[in-house]
Amino acid sequence: MRVQVHFFSYFRDLAACSQCSLNLEKGTNLEQALVEIHAKFPNLKAMKKSTLVAVDMEYVSRDHLLCEGNDIALFPPVQGG
Amino acid sequence: MMRRQLILTPEPISQSVMAGPCAENKSCGALLSFVGIVRSLEGDQVIEGIDYEAYQAMAKHQFQLLFNEMEQRWPIESVRLIHRLGRVDVGQASLWVELLAPHRQEAFEALGWLIDTMKQKVPIWKHPIPRPETATTAPRAAIEQDGETQCDDPSTIS
Repeated sequence: MRVQVHFFSYFRDLAACSQCSLNLEKGTNLEQALVEIHAKFPNLKAMKKSTLVAVDMEYVSRDHLLCEGNDIALFPPVQGG
Repeated sequence: MMRRQLILTPEPISQSVMAGPCAENKSCGALLSFVGIVRSLEGDQVIEGIDYEAYQAMAKHQFQLLFNEMEQRWPIESVRLIHRLGRVDVGQASLWVELLAPHRQEAFEALGWLIDTMKQKVPIWKHPIPRPETATTAPRAAIEQDGETQCDDPSTIS
């Protein structure tokens, strides 16, 4: 299955792009997808502890099962206001 | 049903909007508004402004979730919120929130909760713009909010 990954704020700089596609096995959860993302974008791995992750605009747990067409967003802590 | 207005905009938050008429409701005795203003210091850095970036679709969605929760927890009759995006100079308003409630206590509690929770959940980021004479690093390049850059290597991970 294919999902889209989006990077925001300085994560986009660390990844050197704003988005990419991932082909994942059916039944992959978010944590497993993050392992693949960090392998492709090692600069993001150092930010792992502070990384916020959303799937289709919702904060979900790392064991959340991904589906075809999901939009995964990775970004640093938010700072609005 | 709580009335809602949410605007994310690159345009300045005008005095006319902030002074505009709130929803008419004769059962409400508290009208509370908050204006967040860009300070000249961000940490220990002198700045001339802040460039606000948002994941806009998710920011709007998360704001609506916060409004839902706020409506469940407090008897708020109306919420209006404007958040600036893009460059906001020092001294300008970056955030304006207005709540209308029957009594002041719930309005104060809800407003504090809304802003605190926004700062934890709504995907908006600050990029300080240093004053040139104090800059130790080059100002961050402007971000195209809707622009997308693909990876140099568009190959996918299999």
